[in-house]
Amino acid sequence: MNATTRLLQSHRPAQGPLRVLSASGQLGYGIALDAFERGLQRKPHFIGCDMGSIDPGPYYLGSGAMAAPAAMVARDLELVLCAARTLDVPLVIGSAGTAGARPQLDATVAMVRAIAQERGLDFRLGTIRSDLRPAQVLEALHTGRLRPIGAMAEPSVDEVLACSHIVGQCGTETLTRALHNGPDVLIAGRCCDTAIFAALPEMLGYPVALCLQMAKIIECSSLCCSPGGRDAMLAELDMDGFTLESMNPDAHATPASVAAHALYEQADPFEVEEPTGTLLLRGARYHALDAHRTRVSGAQFRARPIPTLKIEGAALLGARCVLIAGVADPVLLAQLPQVIDAVQQRVRQLLPGDWSLHPHIYGQGAVRTLPAQQHSAHEAGLVIECIAPSAALARTVAGVFKQNLLHHAYAGRLCTAGNLAFAFTPSELDANDAYRFVLYHVMHDAPMKQIFQLHSVDLRGAALH
Amino acid sequence: MSNQPDHRLRALAHTVRSKNAGPTQLTIDLFFKDAQGYARAAASPALSCEAVALLYQLAPAQVQRHLLPELGAMKFSMPRWICAGSPGDGDVYGAQQHAPLLELLL
Repeated sequence: MNATTRLLQSHRPAQGPLRVLSASGQLGYGIALDAFERGLQRKPHFIGCDMGSIDPGPYYLGSGAMAAPAAMVARDLELVLCAARTLDVPLVIGSAGTAGARPQLDATVAMVRAIAQERGLDFRLGTIRSDLRPAQVLEALHTGRLRPIGAMAEPSVDEVLACSHIVGQCGTETLTRALHNGPDVLIAGRCCDTAIFAALPEMLGYPVALCLQMAKIIECSSLCCSPGGRDAMLAELDMDGFTLESMNPDAHATPASVAAHALYEQADPFEVEEPTGTLLLRGARYHALDAHRTRVSGAQFRARPIPTLKIEGAALLGARCVLIAGVADPVLLAQLPQVIDAVQQRVRQLLPGDWSLHPHIYGQGAVRTLPAQQHSAHEAGLVIECIAPSAALARTVAGVFKQNLLHHAYAGRLCTAGNLAFAFTPSELDANDAYRFVLYHVMHDAPMKQIFQLHSVDLRGAALH
Repeated sequence: MSNQPDHRLRALAHTVRSKNAGPTQLTIDLFFKDAQGYARAAASPALSCEAVALLYQLAPAQVQRHLLPELGAMKFSMPRWICAGSPGDGDVYGAQQHAPLLELLL
């Protein structure tokens, strides 16, 4: 019998707590072995890993490339796969390959197949595709079922069609559907972080509020501890609350550190919007069991009648080339933005085409707007971002801009031999493709079953040995 | 040197952090070293929604402030100046936007 069906048939909440091991909040950046092994010794009922996020920006969703280095992704996957198969417990991985789009799910599954073959593992692999077709988004747009999150503009039809990938965050309802197919290992494309850890407990009958709050905390592994870290985290869930314990003995889950984590990356600390409803944390209570473990209880949940769907889409802007240089001349530093504008106008006259230039003047407000009196007057770093329809044009823009800025005659110039300091040459660097988010919206009345395609396959690695 | 107590935010808080809450929003968490520091901060005009909005070039209504006395913490949530990762963004994760708060005198 597969691990998921066995867990669902054999575990009864009344007979003892459910042990949930969060192996990683960012699979692919190195799971620390000692803490993970300590977690395995506690005989978890299932293992979960989050593998993605929207945080690294639109490039990963747009391009379909993984943010984490492939070799480390393969190493982490092998670690959790072998552990889950040895214990014969379910393994749930969400947001495969950073953004959870089709090529990232495919690349993750290809790695899992290769590991299964090499290690002779037999198991049923379930997958969830999280990609939306543009037509599904346009239908929602035209029927008023698409709501922006924050200051996202309403996309035009062309902008939706221009997205290279559009994904939806599957929630517990979709994972539940996939888990009913009895996978030993379930890998979801783009997935709500909480669903990875909340779906199985909800299916077992634990209170939804507790499942979601536990999931929300442990999806970042030991980040909720003091000191925070990336080590494996164990939650023991019962019908009245859950106990949090880092598998790193030096990372302590204290009431203050756990409660503080509820604020992390969250605009509202008391009301957390989930696909199936709102998690209400005003009544949450945190109680130290000892110096290392905290017990959490009291969260409430307000279900909504129909689950919502958060969707994300990114579109290609063009190829990017960056020019890197330094400026130390105080006369130039006092007029740098104006000089960059003037040089840009000159380059525009020399070089037609649909290119754009985005100056980042480090020392004068590149990271955040700085008042003029705080602008650096002794040294500034220039990163000039050039975006064009082709890499060749982007490189041309950067090169022509560089030479024209190097010899631009600004008012009061003394340094007639050159305006820029280069740390190396060539100082124009190809910097991949540039993308932007077009969609970061909530879709109402989303046809979840049509969108999220489930697939199951029995891998027979042992047969090859 | 005088022995005046240091009432700058950076002296009263043990954690001051900023981070995206999705690509369109920024959220800033302040955790104070003790109840006294928290009480001073919660009452300080320098940390009103109006003052923080001015610091981030926003309208006061765009800034939400949450008080968490039991944690000795405050949270500000506000729109990002540009969608994360769009050309011209200088802080994709929003992790360095806490800086202008550190020197505030509370």
